[in-house]
This record gives sequence, C-alpha cells and structure tokens, in this order.
Amino acid sequence: MNAMPNLGGGFVLPLILAIPLLGAIFVMCTPKPEGPLQRGLGLAFSTITFLVSLSVFRYFNAADSSMQLVFDTEWIPGLGAHFKVGIDGISIFLVLLTTFMMPITLLGTWRSIDKYPREFVAAMLVLEAGMLGAFLATDLFLFYVSWEVMLIPMYLLIGIWGGQRRLYASIKFVIYTMVGSLLMLVAIFYVYVQAGHALGTYTTDLDKLATVSYPWNGQVWCFAAFALAFAIKVPLFPLHTWLPDAHVEAPTAGSVILAGVLLKFGIYGFLRYAMPLFPHGAVVWAPALAVLAVIGIIYGAMVAFVQDDVKKLVAYSSVSHLGFCMLGVVAITTMGVEGSIYAMLSHGLTTGGLFLGIGVLYERRHTRRLAEYGGIWKQMPIFAGLFLIVVMGSAGLPTLSGFVGEFFTIFGTFIAGDTFPASHPNFLPMVRLLAALAATGVILGAIYLLWMFQKVFFGKLDTKKNGKLPDLRPHELLVFILLAAGIMIGGLFPRPLLRAMEPAVDKFLVDFNKHVDEPDCGAHLYAEGCAKAMAATAPQAAMTGGRP
Amino acid sequence: MSFNPADLGWITPYLILAGAGMLLVLAEAFYKGTDRTALVGLAVAGSVASAIASIVLYRQLGPNEVHPIFADSHGGAMLVGDRLGYVLAALFALTTALTALCSPAHQREHGWQIGEYYGLLLLSASGMVILAQAASLVTVFLGIETMSIGVYVMCAMRRTSRRGNEAAMKYFLIGAFATGFLMYGMALIYGASGTLSLLAMPKALAVTANPGLVIAGAFLLVVAFGFKIAAVPFHMWAPDVYEGAPTPVTGFMAAAVKAAAIGAMIRVFGVALGGDILPFGTLGWASPLVVIAAITITIGNISAVRQDNIKRMLAYSSISHAGVLLVGLCAMGLGSTSAESSIVYYLLAYTVTTLGAFAVVSFVGSKGRERLLVDDWAGLASQHPAAALAMTICLLSLGGIPPTAGFFGKFVIFKSAMDVYNGQLLWVVIIGIVNSAISIYYYLRIVTAMYFREASQPFAPTRSTGLLFVIALMPLLVLELGIMPGWWLRLVG
Repeated sequence: MNAMPNLGGGFVLPLILAIPLLGAIFVMCTPKPEGPLQRGLGLAFSTITFLVSLSVFRYFNAADSSMQLVFDTEWIPGLGAHFKVGIDGISIFLVLLTTFMMPITLLGTWRSIDKYPREFVAAMLVLEAGMLGAFLATDLFLFYVSWEVMLIPMYLLIGIWGGQRRLYASIKFVIYTMVGSLLMLVAIFYVYVQAGHALGTYTTDLDKLATVSYPWNGQVWCFAAFALAFAIKVPLFPLHTWLPDAHVEAPTAGSVILAGVLLKFGIYGFLRYAMPLFPHGAVVWAPALAVLAVIGIIYGAMVAFVQDDVKKLVAYSSVSHLGFCMLGVVAITTMGVEGSIYAMLSHGLTTGGLFLGIGVLYERRHTRRLAEYGGIWKQMPIFAGLFLIVVMGSAGLPTLSGFVGEFFTIFGTFIAGDTFPASHPNFLPMVRLLAALAATGVILGAIYLLWMFQKVFFGKLDTKKNGKLPDLRPHELLVFILLAAGIMIGGLFPRPLLRAMEPAVDKFLVDFNKHVDEPDCGAHLYAEGCAKAMAATAPQAAMTGGRP
Repeated sequence: MSFNPADLGWITPYLILAGAGMLLVLAEAFYKGTDRTALVGLAVAGSVASAIASIVLYRQLGPNEVHPIFADSHGGAMLVGDRLGYVLAALFALTTALTALCSPAHQREHGWQIGEYYGLLLLSASGMVILAQAASLVTVFLGIETMSIGVYVMCAMRRTSRRGNEAAMKYFLIGAFATGFLMYGMALIYGASGTLSLLAMPKALAVTANPGLVIAGAFLLVVAFGFKIAAVPFHMWAPDVYEGAPTPVTGFMAAAVKAAAIGAMIRVFGVALGGDILPFGTLGWASPLVVIAAITITIGNISAVRQDNIKRMLAYSSISHAGVLLVGLCAMGLGSTSAESSIVYYLLAYTVTTLGAFAVVSFVGSKGRERLLVDDWAGLASQHPAAALAMTICLLSLGGIPPTAGFFGKFVIFKSAMDVYNGQLLWVVIIGIVNSAISIYYYLRIVTAMYFREASQPFAPTRSTGLLFVIALMPLLVLELGIMPGWWLRLVG
C-alpha cells in the first residue's frame, strides 16, 4: 500500500508509542491499592520503552537529512490522514530525552505519590505516549491529536496530585493551552483545504503540505495561530503566566515532565511546523519573537532572582532558558538552530534534575521556602555534590551541557546577519544587540542559580529541623548519577550529537531559504482553487441535488 | 400517491417500531402492580429488530441509490429508502433501545413506574424513522408530530414532580407554537412550488413565479426547526425541560429528538431547498442560518459556564452542539460535498456521547434524590472510579478533545465548512473553535469536582445492569469512533 523506504527500523517507532499505552491499560487493570506493584509496572514499561527507543541508533543514519524509520499507514481514508511517524536529526534526541526522563521521573518520585498510585502511573504513561506521538508525528493530524492527548494527563497530574491551589493552576494550564491550540486548529483547516486544492487531493502529510506555497497573506495569519499555540507552550513572555502556577502546584513528577519535556514542544513546533509551512509568516513575526525571547531571557532571570519559593525560581529560570532556544530558532543559522536543540536537551536534563532535587528536599522538609534551608551540605553531602553538577549545568558552566546550547544560540544569533535569505537581508534587525542582551541572561542565570545553591547548601545550619536529614536513598542516588552523567557527557562530548543534528538542521535552513525566496503565489489562489474544486465536483453535486 | 404493497418492505424499520410500540401500550393494560421491568425486554427487542431491519435495508442500497416509496406519477414520493435514511433510522432505533435499558432503574428509584412509557418511547421513535426517510412535506410534518407528542408525554411522566409538569407544559406549548410556524412555512413553499414532494421541489422551485414566498417559507421553516433543535433564539425552553424531564427522557431528547430534527433539516434544506436553483441560491435560508448557528454556539456555551446544575449545563451544551450541526447544514447548503457525511458522523458521535453522559447522571442519583449539582459530584472518582472515568471520557468528547468522537465530529464539520467557496464560513469556524475552548472550562468543572475534590457525603448510586451496560459501552464507542473514524465517515455519501 505504502512505500516504506527504510523498512529496517519501521517497527521501532510504533512500538515505542504502543508500549506506554499498553502499559497504561495494563496498570489500570490491576487491583486498586497496590502502590509498589503499580509503580513497578510503570517503571518497567517506561524502561522498556527507553531501551527499545535506544535501538533507533541501529537504524538511524546520521548523514541522512530526511525522515528515517518511517512507518506509514492509512488512518482515515476519507480525510487523507495517515498514521505516519518518523525521526530525523531534529527529533531523535528529543525522543530519547522523553523516553529517558520518564523512567527517571518515576524512579525519582518513587515514594512521593501515595494517593491513587494506579491512576498516577497510568496518567504518566499516557502522557509519555502523547509526547512521543507529538515528537514522532510527520502528519499534521496525528500531531494535533497527540498534542491534545498530552493535555489531559498533565491536567490530572496537577489537579489530583498537586498542592494547595491545584484547582486554579490545573484549569489555568488547560485553558491557556487550549486557546492556543484551538486557534492552531483553525490554521490547520486553512492549510488542509488550501493544500487540498493546490495538490488536487486532501492530505495531512507534512511532507506534502510543505511543498505547497501558501499565499503570503494567509501565511501571516496561520503562522500567528501556530506561533500562539507554540509560544504558550514555550512559554514566551508575556504568555508565560501559567507556568509558575502549574510548576508550583504540580507534584514533583509533573514538574519534571512539564519542564523536562513538555515545554520543548513549543520550540519543536516552530522548527517542524510553523516555520517550514509558513516561511513568509516567519519573516513577518520573527523580529517580534526574537525581541520577546530576549525579554523573556532577562525578565525570567530577574524574576527568578527574587523568588523565595525554590520551585518558582526554577520555573522562572525555565522562562529564561527557553528564551535562548526561541532566539536560536528565529536566528535561522545552523549554529542557532543546533544550539537551540542542544539547549532544549540540556534544559530537559538540568531542569528535570533541579525539580527532582527540590522534590528530594521537599520530601524531607515539606517546605520549598529558601529561607527555611541553609547548611544542608553537611547533612546530605552526596546529594549536594550531585545537585551542584545539575545547578552548574543549568547555569551554563563550560564543560557541562548547558554551556554548549547557550553559547551556540548566542553565537548563532550574533552571526545571523551574514546568512539571512537573499530576499530578506534584514530578516532580524539588530542581531548583535539581541545576542549581547541574551548573553547578559547567562550571567544573571549564574547569579540566581548559585544564589539558590548557596542559600540551601551553605551557611549555618540555623534551623533545627534541618539537623537530621537522611542523604539520598539508593533509587534517588541512581537517578542523580544518571542525570549528572548525562549533563557531563553532554558538556564534554557535544560533537557526536551536533553532527547527527546537522544534516537535518541544514535541510531545514535550505528549505526555509528556498521557500522564502519564492514569490507570492497570490491571495487569489484560494478562490481559484475552490472554483476548480467546485467545477470538478459539479456533476456530482447536480446528482445529489436531485435526491433527498 | 399510489399504494404499492411491495414498498412495505422498505419501511420495515418503521413498521416494527410502531407495531412494538402499540403492543407495549396494549400489554400495559394487562399489568398489575408497579414493576414494569418485563416491558423493557419487549421494548429493547422491538428497537433492536428495527435497527437490524434498517441495517439489512442499508446494505441493499448503493452509495447514491434512492428508492422512492409510495411514489406518484410526477416523480414524487412519500418516503425514500436511501443510505442516509437507514443510517439515521438505525441510530434512532438503537438510541431507543439504550434509553429503554437505562429507564427501569430510574423509574424504580424515582417513583414513576408507568408502563405506557415504553410504548410512547417506541411510537416516538417511529416518528423519527419517518422523518429520517421523509420525501414529502406531509411526511415531514407527520414525523415531527408523531415524534413530539410521545416526547411531550414522556416529559410529564413524573406526575408528582412540579418541575416535570412545568417542563412538559412548557415543551408542549412551545412545540405547538413551533408547529404553527412549520405548517405556515410549508404552506408558503407549497404555494410557490405547487408540490409537496421534496424530490420534485428543486425543479419546481427553479421555475417558480413567487421567489418571495419561498424565501418567507424557508425562513419560517428555519424558525420551526430552530425550536425543535433548540437553536438560539428559540432555545428558552430547553434548559427547563431538560432539567424537569426524567433523566433517561432528557438523554433521549438531547440525542435522538435533536438528531431526527437535523435529519429532517438535511432533507428539507439541504436537498429540497438546496443547490443553486433558487433565485437567491441557497442564501435564502443559509445566510440567516449561519448567523443563527454562530449565535447558538456562543450563547449556549456562555450560558453553560454559569450553570451549577449538571442537567442544565448539558442542556446548554446541547444547544451549542446544535449550533455546530447548523454550521454543517449551512456548509451543505453552500455546496460542500463532504458536509452530509460530516453531519451524520457528528450525530452519531453526539448521540453516543450524550447517552453515556446522561447514563452516568442517572447512575449517580438514587432514591428520589438526583444529585444534579456539580458540588454533589465531588469525589465521585474516589468511590466509583469507573463511572467517573466514563463521565470524563464523555465530557472530553463533548468538549472536543482528541482522541474522542466529539473532537473528530467537530473536525469534519468545520473542515466541510472550510470547503465552502471562498472561505465564506471561515468566521463561523473561528467562532465555533473559540467556543470549544470556553466549553472546556465548564466540562472540566465536572471533572475537577469528580477527581480533585473530596466527597462531602457517600454516594448511593443506582444499581442496574442495563444502566451499567450503557455506562460501560458508550465511552468505548466514543473512543472507537474517535480513533477509527474512517468507516463511520463513509456510511453516507
């Protein structure tokens, strides 16, 4: 039925989608109050998913820029929707990040969930399937469905297992996300109908949709709709206000996944959908996005600095860090885009680690106020040492993973002026200034993160309750060692990862530049296309007109 | 019209329903005591048999094949046998069966064990089947009245309930009023076209000397059908009636009555008054209808946000869903070829979802206490996780979140609206989609209550096999329809 060019690994991607889903169903079938059993099942299923996902390396060709391990089967024939998944250099590491973070999270929060463990594990596994679906999809319809499927488990995670103001935070999270994604749905309709008329057949296949050149006018609006959905997810200043609430109220596991993986969908959406489909929309909106990203970098860092709640501090640090990713994407240079992807991976590990660390502290002390801590180093030396690596990784210390991403995005932005598309030499104005301002964010980041670390771990042990804190338990130790190892490897050996990304990133840039240089196909195309389609169906319409 | 005995085969679904209905009314005469559970068996058997008959007949027809039933010599007919008609007929019959399954427990718990109920249910359903197959203004009228009269009485079944009586009276008076509009509109159109047959109508209207009459008649029909499907501004009765009627009847009304009215609208507007034959094109009815659709979606949703009573909330939600269906109808009128199958899919999705939701509402209340406030549902998930999960799936489907049937229904309806020439309906699509975001808020209020809050008092739900069957089956169907919609989309067209 369908050509499967790379049959070799075609089964891997559907398999890593199916395992978490099967796991969720399986866990829901277990009897009610079996916490350890259900958590164990969750850990087992997510670990298997991770191990299976590692097998993509067997089939993945790093020199190839196209979609690989493609699995394609017809899903909804009348609509042209396919169940089509694949990975390329842009998505492969994000997929691995997702499958890696899930068992890490389940293990790291092993003892923190007592209420409804069965539902918790099921929600986490459904969430994993949704996230993987959204990363793997190369079909717009499948992407949209997966994108929305992520929403409900996260809503439940915040709402059921969250803190005091969880009702408010969960509904705010859902409404924010829904508004953005529904406007994206309108744009999807537009693309779908428009491309249907241009291609002569309706399809939601991303490859085919990307070949169509949409009228500029429509591109501006569609890009805006997609960008709104993605910017909320990133979250880009000033659409970030849901994030601190969601993070503070979410349970540790929810925060880790939210910061570690979910936020990446914003940037990924720009890379995979908004910019390839609507390059001219990108031309119009890129300056605004870049400025907002820089504002977010500085604003997030400064707000983080004054927080007393550790979770809020890390939440605002995410606003700041994701600002770098956004900036790198709209700079459209190889370095900028690669740096953006790298920064996302690093942010997933470091911020996931930060939230897990806060979870470790919270479980022992039941507070997240900085003022309550101090002098913990002596009580928990192993934890303090490992946590220091995570903090330094997040602050962007050279030789740790955060440095690579931030350096690349800033440098990529700085040189961006030299490589803009020929037809748009002023794609982004004042790139040097933007890069310089973004660089101050690195300094601010170091300040607030080290400030936080100092307040928690150094100083005098002046609160009695901090006197007898047990150090890391074995499962926590394992989690932090894995994370710290990831952060160090990411900082010391970035080359293999960057090399694997490069072909896909280059292809993204070449396609983008090519499409931007195309002339406007005209706003009349839509009307003409419709007229053509109506003419084609006219005999049929006359036939149906005569029958009830 | 000529009576051709061979045509009786084509109306078996109707004959079975009507026959079983009358049998049920007769059987009631021989019953003593209050327990009417035994009648449920006959009601379910009758409706399922009718549905099977519809499916058998459906399979004998090709995609665009039309079989006129009781045809006259001028190319008109009373009824038609086509795929659309039999799909809808099967849908109505199955809805009836499921409603009958939910009913005895509710009757027992809330003290309205009246045997005529099952007879009326099936007779009302037989009216719907006529509507689904109608090919003449006369049969449309007959179908609507047969359907409505049964429902009027069913609303009033709880004779001791003041709300129930109020609901029935309101529904009856407004329904009668709407019938006046319907009659007058039909009269004007008949006057302009000289024919009652929907099949012959497009040709007759093409040469009419009185286009003004057609426009006026179409407008009156919009009003009449607007009352039936509770489109704004003809929706005032719906919340009161939905709240006052016994819950299974509410579910039946929200699902089947609305679907039947929409089915009739496909026949009358989409086909008889459709196409570019009219002097003003389809704009004669489609442009007011588009505005009505936009207002209906918006008002329905905004009103639902403020409701604390779940039945009233679902009533307003059903109003906004009617608005979405109207968008589909407008798209059909304006030439979208995929609109008809989209509408049918949406009807299937909405029916399944609504039946599931109302079944859970029936389940939660018991012993004369209905527990309809959102606060009453707090903590349901901790005590009855399966029911809470079923309700959640249905609510997500109503809110249009994938991978449920409701999402895909909205998707195909709005997609066919975008198909319309020159993007004329784009603004309605945007309104509809923005409204989905609003609707999420109030649907999630119920989910929030069920999952995130503690129960203030223990639940004592209604226990019944039939009810549990419906609660278990509907969410599965919602997911099946949503994940594998391809087959369902191709049922028609």
